[in-house]
Amino acid sequence: MTSGKSGKGRAAEGRSQKADATKVKVPPALLLAAWFVPGLGHWILGKRTRAIVFGVVIASAFITGVLLNGELGTPKPENPFSWMAAFACLGNGVLYLGRLLWLNGLGGLVSSIPFSLQGGGDPAAAGFAYGNTFLYTAGLMNLLTVLDVSDISCGEKD
Amino acid sequence: MDHLALLLWHALLVSVFFAFLWRSTAVGRRNLFLKTFLIMVIGGTALGWLMYPFP
Repeated sequence: MTSGKSGKGRAAEGRSQKADATKVKVPPALLLAAWFVPGLGHWILGKRTRAIVFGVVIASAFITGVLLNGELGTPKPENPFSWMAAFACLGNGVLYLGRLLWLNGLGGLVSSIPFSLQGGGDPAAAGFAYGNTFLYTAGLMNLLTVLDVSDISCGEKD
Repeated sequence: MDHLALLLWHALLVSVFFAFLWRSTAVGRRNLFLKTFLIMVIGGTALGWLMYPFP
């Protein structure tokens, strides 16, 4: 039994649906929530299982990175790669900001932004490089969940 | 510090994450998890062995 539509017809329909989906405006507050608390974006959209798994995985990776004496990426003018590290770590949302607050204190945090922030960690520790890897991975995974929330909310994905 | 344990832990976290991000069925998730986990563990171990001759 055939569906009655040619392959070209189905492809055109698919493109049309995708074009419609891109017109849907994603609420910025939803994306902000998804970034700020890992898993919250999916939780708001009703994807509870995914929300819990993402939250647990990202928090576990972040905590592992901290326990291994990894250093949170903070921007340093003399080191261009530090900006990439800062971007990756900033992806951790509240975990990143909370850790910076823990390390710098509220007064230190406000007065040190952006170039004098302490990222913690111990370069002499055996787990330093591993810890950094876990911290970057956690942040980048959370940024991917933000993109996923965006796709789900505009109907491109279930 | 056990490097292999860290490799396994990292591979586990990343594999679970992508299984839930990219698949929506239980079977699909299990298959993707196994595939990515094994690739990371076997690939990482093989790369470690290949790096032995280098200082």
